[in-house]
Amino acid sequence: MKYFKETLYDAICQEFRVDKMYFEQKTDHQHLMIFHNAMLGRVMTLDGIVQTTEADEFMYHEMLTHVPILAHGAVKKLLIIGGGDGGILREVLKHDAIDVTQVEIDKAVIDMAVEYLPKHSDSAYDNPRANIIIDDGMAFVKDCSEKFDVIIVDGTDPIGPGEVLFTEDFYAHCKNCLNEDGVIVTQNGVPFLQIEEVKNTHQRLGQHFTDATFYTVAVPTYYGGLMTLAWASNNVELRQVSLEILEQRFKEAKLNTRYYNPAIHLASFALPQYIVNQLD
Amino acid sequence: MTTTARTVIYGASEDDCRFYQSSVEKHGSPLLLFDSSKLKQQYRSLQQALPNVDLFYAIKALPQIDVLKVIDELDAGFDVASSGELDILLGLKVGGRRTIHTHPIKSDKDIRDALRFGSTTFVIDNLDELKKLQPYRGRIGILLRVSFRSENAKVDLSKKFGCTEDEVANIIFQAEQLGLHIKGLSFHVGSQVETSDKHVAAIQSCRDMMLELNQKAKAPLSILDIGGGFPGNYALQSIDIMKFCQPIRDALASLPEDWHIYAEPGRYLIAPAVTCVTTIIGKSMRYGMPWYYLDDGVYGSFSGKIFDHAEYPLQVLKEGETSPSVLAGPTCDSIDIIDEQIELPELKIGDFIIGHQMGAYTAATRTRFNLLKEAKFIVL
Ligand SMILES: Cc1ncc(COP(=O)(O)O)c(C=O)c1O
Repeated sequence: MKYFKETLYDAICQEFRVDKMYFEQKTDHQHLMIFHNAMLGRVMTLDGIVQTTEADEFMYHEMLTHVPILAHGAVKKLLIIGGGDGGILREVLKHDAIDVTQVEIDKAVIDMAVEYLPKHSDSAYDNPRANIIIDDGMAFVKDCSEKFDVIIVDGTDPIGPGEVLFTEDFYAHCKNCLNEDGVIVTQNGVPFLQIEEVKNTHQRLGQHFTDATFYTVAVPTYYGGLMTLAWASNNVELRQVSLEILEQRFKEAKLNTRYYNPAIHLASFALPQYIVNQLD
Repeated sequence: MTTTARTVIYGASEDDCRFYQSSVEKHGSPLLLFDSSKLKQQYRSLQQALPNVDLFYAIKALPQIDVLKVIDELDAGFDVASSGELDILLGLKVGGRRTIHTHPIKSDKDIRDALRFGSTTFVIDNLDELKKLQPYRGRIGILLRVSFRSENAKVDLSKKFGCTEDEVANIIFQAEQLGLHIKGLSFHVGSQVETSDKHVAAIQSCRDMMLELNQKAKAPLSILDIGGGFPGNYALQSIDIMKFCQPIRDALASLPEDWHIYAEPGRYLIAPAVTCVTTIIGKSMRYGMPWYYLDDGVYGSFSGKIFDHAEYPLQVLKEGETSPSVLAGPTCDSIDIIDEQIELPELKIGDFIIGHQMGAYTAATRTRFNLLKEAKFIVL
């Protein structure tokens, strides 16, 4: 019997039983697997790190998507960087009025996810409102002349191919592609075990946005407690929208969610002190 | 450097003669013949001699994919020293948690490559190196390499790497200040040591240092990596590894039971598993001695003569009256001489010279000089 052992930390690791291997690929410097686990459903790993599982992906994808969209309230154009598994795209397309551009560096990731993780994208890639571009996210935002209301960065671990998506340059270019009232959100790791990432991202985003902070979601297979999602905007009011307004927008959007709701939306901006201490 | 006398075998069984002949007919010459059962046997012997020690094969000794496959099958660990070595493991789908990165000097790229691969144990021996690891401090575990010089090792590996015992406490303290965890000590007493005295002395020093440090350290040191050094059998007199390791076992028995012990054997495991077959491609009489020119030499599989100071046991398949002879390699350089004074019977072009114990630091260090065809690696 085969087991997958995560390799993020030296002193501890989580281990998953591999009940059926659907896909395993070793390309130049990259090791991708999709397998079945009895408790988690299909699991995708990249370079020894869990990327997503069918059982708990909704927590991550719903929070990374609906929080900025409902906070903004009038999103027309949205940009996804990364997110090849299609989970973010699926959630964004639940909002009827939004046109989405998704920039994924590797077409093979999308193809593979459509085939082996079909529940993630749930046919989202066939939706005409989705404009899929195969390009380097950094190159795209650098040359982009369009403006978006929301940018969602769904990248991998900062050690590896997603590294550039954690740089100050990248955030600067993103700012240029955002409308005045726009907001950017990014996946930012598990701060209990990777506190440096909170510090670095906060400092880097702070160079370009007047309001840079985090909100949190606890995704069980992103081991280590709360995960931080970075939030940056030049409009601080976006995260001060009242519960009533959020509830109204939530109702109007007719969202069918399993994690997101307006109460958790507001509460997720409350940060434990060990994170707050990193933000000065 | 004292050079040990070379062991020479004269004559061979009919079976052996036929085997070498048919190997060359099938694959050409020169050849490196890899006997995986020998590697497995060596691994099991070392495991028995060092029970409760996790063995990490030092890939550098012979980074051949067929060799690594066998190590993988044995469920052993891998001692990695470069991103290139990690790339080979990636191809084999070996998981990062079975590796340790033991090169004391690394670039940031090396560190990131290793982390991406999933290798989270790193070795350092100075403060500059420690600082390089700070950005990754939450993810990694560090071993501090200590230098114990060894005069009687063939290859002294503590000259270039390892801090002094006096520096240990300060480096551990500095690491704590930087929020980095040093989880244990490592050493390498040198390759091809004759006795285990140096291992024993180093184990004892490390034990004493670790016990003392643990009284004050925030997080205890709990790993001791005793490196490599376990000998290859160049004299072809059977090495009793149980006996060689007896003093090491005794020394290890005095460590706290909850410590983890690692070793990084290279030579002992792989040296006897590879046999080199070379063919005489030319001969002449020079200075009153017969010179035989082989199709492999010190720029090729015999590179360990230069880099590793090794004199491999050689075998001629014929017997007969011998005279002092010269064995030279195929390149046009005059340093390319395997032996300047070897007693050989009269040999012809086409005769074989067999090199034994040629797995460790042989093909690993060969060059492309003269663009000669490298010895073909054959898995038996
Ligand atoms: C760090 C390290 N570990 C292990 C080894 C393997 O040593 P041996 O072949 O003597 O077992 C070496 C050899 O150079 C080394 O440098």
